[in-house]
Amino acid sequence: MKTRFYAVYLGALTLLLVSSCGSLRAPVFDQYSYQKGTELKVDALNLMDKATMSYDSEKTAIDTFQAELDKMLEYQKNRENNTISYAMWKMIANPDKNFIGGFLERWKEKGTLIGPFITEAKGQVSDALDLILQYEGKKDPVAENKLKAILGIQ
Amino acid sequence: MDFKDLLKELKGNLLSLMGSKFDDLKDESKKDVQDFLKASKAKLERWTTLLAEGNITLDDYKWLVESQKDLVVLQGLYAAGVSKIKLGHLKNSILDTVINTAIGFVKEKEDGNNEANA
Repeated sequence: MKTRFYAVYLGALTLLLVSSCGSLRAPVFDQYSYQKGTELKVDALNLMDKATMSYDSEKTAIDTFQAELDKMLEYQKNRENNTISYAMWKMIANPDKNFIGGFLERWKEKGTLIGPFITEAKGQVSDALDLILQYEGKKDPVAENKLKAILGIQ
Repeated sequence: MDFKDLLKELKGNLLSLMGSKFDDLKDESKKDVQDFLKASKAKLERWTTLLAEGNITLDDYKWLVESQKDLVVLQGLYAAGVSKIKLGHLKNSILDTVINTAIGFVKEKEDGNNEANA
């Protein structure tokens, strides 16, 4: 009887602790985000190399890349506890910010871009995407899995 | 454009993004901020040289400087995210300790009851 009382007490305590710390819920590492993010980085940098050629001649490649970027944004938007990664991806894709979204917009406006500018802009896009990938890599699946195992929800 | 002023502005933006908590940051995070500013200085110097030599236009230069400012915001988001992850790990450790302590306590009680019944 006493054991049951302690078990209920323990359950209530755990529930209280978990619910009270909801805002601190740690984001979880996601293999797809990391892998797809790496692919998008490589694709973005390859596409930027083509900006010495006219925007119109590369329109198909640009549209394909843009579609992949849009899919990534949609994926990030719907992940749980993912406010920061989503905000970072939104910045990357935003045509008003000076990363890949802004680069493509500038390419469209100017028609072609010059080599030294492309090289420097690539460095900026690369640094930005590295930050996102490093952030994803910092998320630890071990702690979350351990918590789920303790709570019996795995 | 004086890149010392620019660097000062970037540092100001970064610190205001992190609130007045720079002094409270762990050494690791402080190092991230300092490394970032060091990298910013090198880029601004390089871009200014490219502009002076006519390799990029003023418009290109402005675009790149703006992108560095955007990178400051991204760095701020990254720092905030990493802090959140660390807090999450701390929460999990606390939860783990509470549960293990409670389980130990329940087991002791159970063992005590079994001995009394025997």
